[in-house]
Amino acid sequence: MNVLAQGVSAESRLITVILFTVMIAVTLLITVWASRRVNSASDFHSGGRGFSGVQNGFAIGSDYMSAASFLGIAGTIALFGYDGFLYSIGFLVAWLVALLLVAELLRNSGRYTMADVLSYRMRQRPVRTAASVSTLTVSIFYLLAQMVGAGALIALLLGIQPGETYLGMSADTAKIAGIVVVGILMIVYVTFGGMTGTTWVQIIKAGMLMGGAALLTIMVLAVYKFDLAALMNDAADASGAGAAFLEPGQVYGREVVGDAWQTMINKLDLISLGLALVLGTAGLPHILIRFYTVPDAKTARKSVNWGIGLIGTFYLMTLVLGFGAAAMVGRDAIVEQNAAGNTAAPQLAEQVGAHFGGDFLAAVMLALIAAVAFAAILSTVAGLTIASSSSLAHDFYNNVLRKGQASERDEIRVAKFAAFGVGTIAIVLAVFAQNLNVAFLVALAFAIAASANLPTILLSLFWKRFNTNGALAGIYGGLIAAVGLVFFSPVVSGKTDADGNSLSLFPENIDFAWFPLENPALVSVPIGVLCAVIGTLTSRENDAVRFAELQVRALTGAGAEGASKH
Amino acid sequence: MTTQPATTEASEPPEDDLRTRSVAMHEDPRFLELRSRLLRFVVPMTIAFLAWYLLYVVMSAYARGVMSTQLVGNFNLALVFGLLQFVSTFGIAIAYSRFANRRFDPLADELREELENGGRDR
Repeated sequence: MNVLAQGVSAESRLITVILFTVMIAVTLLITVWASRRVNSASDFHSGGRGFSGVQNGFAIGSDYMSAASFLGIAGTIALFGYDGFLYSIGFLVAWLVALLLVAELLRNSGRYTMADVLSYRMRQRPVRTAASVSTLTVSIFYLLAQMVGAGALIALLLGIQPGETYLGMSADTAKIAGIVVVGILMIVYVTFGGMTGTTWVQIIKAGMLMGGAALLTIMVLAVYKFDLAALMNDAADASGAGAAFLEPGQVYGREVVGDAWQTMINKLDLISLGLALVLGTAGLPHILIRFYTVPDAKTARKSVNWGIGLIGTFYLMTLVLGFGAAAMVGRDAIVEQNAAGNTAAPQLAEQVGAHFGGDFLAAVMLALIAAVAFAAILSTVAGLTIASSSSLAHDFYNNVLRKGQASERDEIRVAKFAAFGVGTIAIVLAVFAQNLNVAFLVALAFAIAASANLPTILLSLFWKRFNTNGALAGIYGGLIAAVGLVFFSPVVSGKTDADGNSLSLFPENIDFAWFPLENPALVSVPIGVLCAVIGTLTSRENDAVRFAELQVRALTGAGAEGASKH
Repeated sequence: MTTQPATTEASEPPEDDLRTRSVAMHEDPRFLELRSRLLRFVVPMTIAFLAWYLLYVVMSAYARGVMSTQLVGNFNLALVFGLLQFVSTFGIAIAYSRFANRRFDPLADELREELENGGRDR
């Protein structure tokens, strides 16, 4: 049977290219339509706050279910079984933090950015600067991981093998072309369409992703006559790991025989990762600004509920896809194509298509799933770009540089310029980093959000004594702790495989690592909280009046901005 | 220390009124009731789901023998425990929404109405 490893068939490539082109055309049309509706700052940053709960729920799911999580989690399950599932559970449970503690209060008390809430009862300029620094760091790290992945994915989805050319591109050229095309598209979506255009791109992507995943899941289950136990049996047998494939421990918290220290570190690392995932989501700036796109707190609640439903269903389907790929494509064929398993889902689509409808359906299914992955890349990077651009324009330019006196027109102009700047920087960095191992940046973004953003947001809303000094210490302390600990961890230097090749960011001859955990959250979250508390208590500032006002607004919604009318 | 709020325009009188009334509302027994209703629901629930999740992660790291127990066919405890995390997440989201619709929104709406319209009566 023809799997990706033998190259993508000509028909499939043609369909893939046609679908990619159609998608680019449709999203650009949406952008043109949206650009006419972006007149005020509220339109640009928050899509006019007019989205319904269902629409925003789809957009939330879309921001969250990146190509990395679609292809990455399916691939991890295909190669390592249970542990990929374990990873997805942290991503899901995290949404309860957003639902119960953050979404509605943030919607009620802020306007455009996370900093609106953080700085409400603090000295505006230093706190907004700190929030902006944290927003940009989290968003650019996350963006970089997505863009570097995007280049490689597009080359893979077009099925360009080393030494071969397609449309005049070798695999390496296709990677760079992929990064540049994705980067330019995201700049166009955000600059012209603002949050309105970005949100519609995300809604369409979420629909495609759910539809594509559901179709593939049903087909996989149909091959097994809806007998899940048989599918799991086949997956475990084909994996070579046997029953252990269905148990935790293949990737996370691995037990190293004869090395008790490393075993302990690996297990602590798993707990640290779990902590970052569960506490990080409700501190990710591109997720937080989604709560401003709806008319009120009730709709924000409804949209998070829709998001939880979509994301949960999606991860359950991913479990079937991962097991399906392990059973039907097989470990060797997946690893041959991509060592991290990123092509497991497209390979499965081809295999399942061939099972039901021969070569033609195989080509169609492969192209379809490739198109879904492409849409997933585009919408997540657009969400990250608009989070950065809003924070730069609203927090840094308007409130720090212009002390809140800039006109809406100026703020929008700066936001567009910022989107262009951030996008360009991301393209350049991603091209340079394309052969580096940057997958750790996603976990790092979650760790920063959990250490710097979430504690300060919650303390702002609930701790009366909290003040400017505490907010600054909390944000910078959590941020520096998370980034610093990762810098001195094995993901940046000093980790090698059995043959002495580097598994870190730096080459194998450089080793300055002293912090043993790859995920810093277990240490950096307590540091962030401690910094916030100590910073608060060492300053006398205590604005009880503004706190009272913030809390009343956050809980009742009094004075919250509604949808713009046009 | 004085703060310079930039999120609200201090020059607009209705906004100023709303701010004064909001500050006064903070001591209102109905607001205290609203806040305590919210905290009484979300704090224990958050502690519960975080503990439940951490138990799952810790068992995945340290209790692999238990997690690999086969329950039905090849469905082991690890898989069932993982699926239960989905069930609890969906369940808590539904429970919270029911709580918010019944116990929180009516009172919050009443206070919001009073805060926003209070100015026009004067």
